[in-house]
Amino acid sequence: MNSMPKLILTGARVAFAAAIVATAAAPFLFSANHVVLLTEFMSMLVLAIMWNLLAGYADIVTVGQHAYVGVGAYAFFGFAALWGLNPYLSIPLAGGVALVIAVPTMLLVFRLRTAYLAIGTWVIAELLMLAAGKLSAWGGGSGTSVPISIVLSFGRVRADRLAAIYWLAFGLTAVAMLATYFLLRSRIGVGLTAMRDNEEGAAAIGVNITHARILCFLGTAPFLGMAGAIITLQKLRVAPPASFSIIDWTVFIIFNVVIGGIGSFEGPIIGTIIYFVLRQYLSGLGAWNLILLGSFSIVVILIEKRGLWGLVRRLLSDDLIPIAHKPSAKFAPGAKAE
Amino acid sequence: MSMSASSPLLAVEGVSVFYGKFRAIDHVDVTVGGGEVVSIIGANGAGKSTLLKAIIGQADRVEGTIGFAGEDIIGRSTEAIVASGIMLVPEGRRLFPSLTVEENLRLGWDVGRKGEIGFADVWHQFPVLLQRRRQKAGSLSGGEQQMVALARALLANPRLLLCDEISLGLAPRVVNELYALIPDIKRRGIGILIVEQDIERSLAVADRFYCLLEGKVSLAGRPHEVTRDLVIKHYFGL
Amino acid sequence: MASLWINQLLQGILLGGLYALFATGLSLAAGVMRFINIAHGDFIVLTCYVLLVLTTTLGLNPVVATLIVLPAAFLFGFGLQRFLLQRVVGENVLLVILVTFGLSIIIENGLLEGFGADPQKISGGWLETATVALGAGVNVGLFQVLTFIAAVLLVAALDLLLYRTGIGAKIRAVSDDVAAADLIGLSSVRLYAIAMGISFVTIGIAAGFMSIWTNFDPASGPTRLLIAFEVVVMGGLGSLWGSLAGGIVLGVAQSIGGQFDIAWQTMAGHIVFLIVLALRPQGLFPKY
Repeated sequence: MNSMPKLILTGARVAFAAAIVATAAAPFLFSANHVVLLTEFMSMLVLAIMWNLLAGYADIVTVGQHAYVGVGAYAFFGFAALWGLNPYLSIPLAGGVALVIAVPTMLLVFRLRTAYLAIGTWVIAELLMLAAGKLSAWGGGSGTSVPISIVLSFGRVRADRLAAIYWLAFGLTAVAMLATYFLLRSRIGVGLTAMRDNEEGAAAIGVNITHARILCFLGTAPFLGMAGAIITLQKLRVAPPASFSIIDWTVFIIFNVVIGGIGSFEGPIIGTIIYFVLRQYLSGLGAWNLILLGSFSIVVILIEKRGLWGLVRRLLSDDLIPIAHKPSAKFAPGAKAE
Repeated sequence: MSMSASSPLLAVEGVSVFYGKFRAIDHVDVTVGGGEVVSIIGANGAGKSTLLKAIIGQADRVEGTIGFAGEDIIGRSTEAIVASGIMLVPEGRRLFPSLTVEENLRLGWDVGRKGEIGFADVWHQFPVLLQRRRQKAGSLSGGEQQMVALARALLANPRLLLCDEISLGLAPRVVNELYALIPDIKRRGIGILIVEQDIERSLAVADRFYCLLEGKVSLAGRPHEVTRDLVIKHYFGL
Repeated sequence: MASLWINQLLQGILLGGLYALFATGLSLAAGVMRFINIAHGDFIVLTCYVLLVLTTTLGLNPVVATLIVLPAAFLFGFGLQRFLLQRVVGENVLLVILVTFGLSIIIENGLLEGFGADPQKISGGWLETATVALGAGVNVGLFQVLTFIAAVLLVAALDLLLYRTGIGAKIRAVSDDVAAADLIGLSSVRLYAIAMGISFVTIGIAAGFMSIWTNFDPASGPTRLLIAFEVVVMGGLGSLWGSLAGGIVLGVAQSIGGQFDIAWQTMAGHIVFLIVLALRPQGLFPKY
């Protein structure tokens, strides 16, 4: 009886490995339009991984992560377009600026608890967006386009350019995944998981939860900022409402992670895939697109709070990417009858 | 089940309580008659508090029957159970610290049955509470808080009173004061089920007792009919 | 020049009344149930649209329409808590945040589908245009004054309800210790639903005043949530009279900021909020 789930799991792992190989070589395999779509996919996936790390493990629900995407976009534009720095170098620098912004933000919002903290991050994002609209060098409230010279520095031919930007997005996603993987397998990750499942658990393991939460909050900021820089290379514009879009960089991300499976490594990946598949069919629906996603995510929470991966996981013997050191019977999915 | 002609006030029959797959209480039978004091003794984790939770309707999964005044109350809400005449004095008192003494007491009056015990009785029985009625419950001493918890339960005019570890953390003098009230409660025909760690105290006041060991009744009887050694043996399962 | 600033200050204080109306229900629900309804602002805007329909299609007077809406709002809030939010309450605050967040997006986009993105407004007739002259060239709108009075009355009424009635004591008991309440037969499920129902009555009142005071469109909700949130945190969590004070602080900050530039109006509000958070995280009038 046990061989069937094992077979499925092995199949899923093989498929995952194949997907990694295929996406690594995507510019050689797929059409330009698909490469553009995949670039967008990778950017969204980084945002999803980061939101999931905070909400699913570090107990920090933010509704303001678009702040760092926007800061990254504006910083990238500043370094590359205004100060003429190397565009490639400008991307990590943009991540650095996001980190610098995250420090005072953290000092403020960590004074608040849970739901209050969530809205606190939103207030900061609003403020940063309004402040961005006051920067006249960045086009003020209406924003401005990325100069063509910067675009060309990523490749003089369109296909080369798309490939270069794609690999940047792919590389960022890979680093984000590896960083999350090793963080969650470390003592800190074990402590966070223990805290999430059981209040006393973390103390027993001896991990300082406050330090772990600070590490996660500050650690996600540069990734979000770099994603913002790469997104700017796709949109070729910075503008306050677009670069700091709560719908694109926070709302959709939250829905994706919730639907895919919050608090699991696989959840953000599955959620982002579903989002892109649904988008192909729902894009003509306008506002109904968000109504459906919102309803879908509420239904998912009511049925299985660990999302679609939580449902699938009941059938499997192990995670797709094993993070837990040893499966604990008490918290194994499916152990709870209800 | 009962030996007496009339059925007992409370008849716990073949009750098991589960936490997930763990069986915290295993086929337990307990009866309490009106005006009778029954003690449940047992070591930590023997299932004493769990049994009280099952009776008051706060355990997740309960099997068996819990008869109260002739009706099975398993599956009923705590609200309905309290209204029908069972009230708990919870472990750790569990007052509402930001509410005044009087407000805490009024909650007991509101949730319970209407009956002969009123505020006048409480003020008479606990004069110190009358002085402190406008004070926040959180500002009282432990003994005073336990008085409020007991008075709150009495104001619900219960037919059956469940007392969970009322002596916990209190000075012996205060505990004596509280236990001195039991005969008066008994005289009103109220059945009392007492859970205590303190065997001596618990057996001294009880008409009958049950000893729980790992979720099962290991010994039952009348305090004067058993030796101390026998109780100790069944308490620790030696 | 002085009269200009006095005027702005007065406008800000009166605006604080409207902001307190946004905040009291959020403060109550957050104080009792320990979670924040992220859709709070969207429910205010949704109610504005309900009032719009009642006043335009049925031709009802806005005051009458608001009075009709209040009992319905109570039932809606009661049902929302009882049948949806209660299912995710307790085990993890994250889930309640996510469900109310989902509701928020559903409402915004539902309104967009139903009414389009155009700003709407309900006419208050003479009420809106009447002014009160305070001398020395300072005038304030009658409607703004009435809104402020309504905010004071609402806070006073909720204060009486919570501290002078039996149901209020029960709600405070559940807020103190929900598990202890359940142990003695106070049904926390029902009390939560009642608290949410009351929160929705305040949403109805807030919508009644907001729909006449200012334009609204389907995307207006989040701004109202952020205002209500800032007011609650600045006032001190769970403090009703603090909400009034927090509302005035925010209203004055925005009003003074708006003197410089329209973008500064909102920014000044956020900045003052963050300063208060940095210096007095427990709020101006902490309750607990």
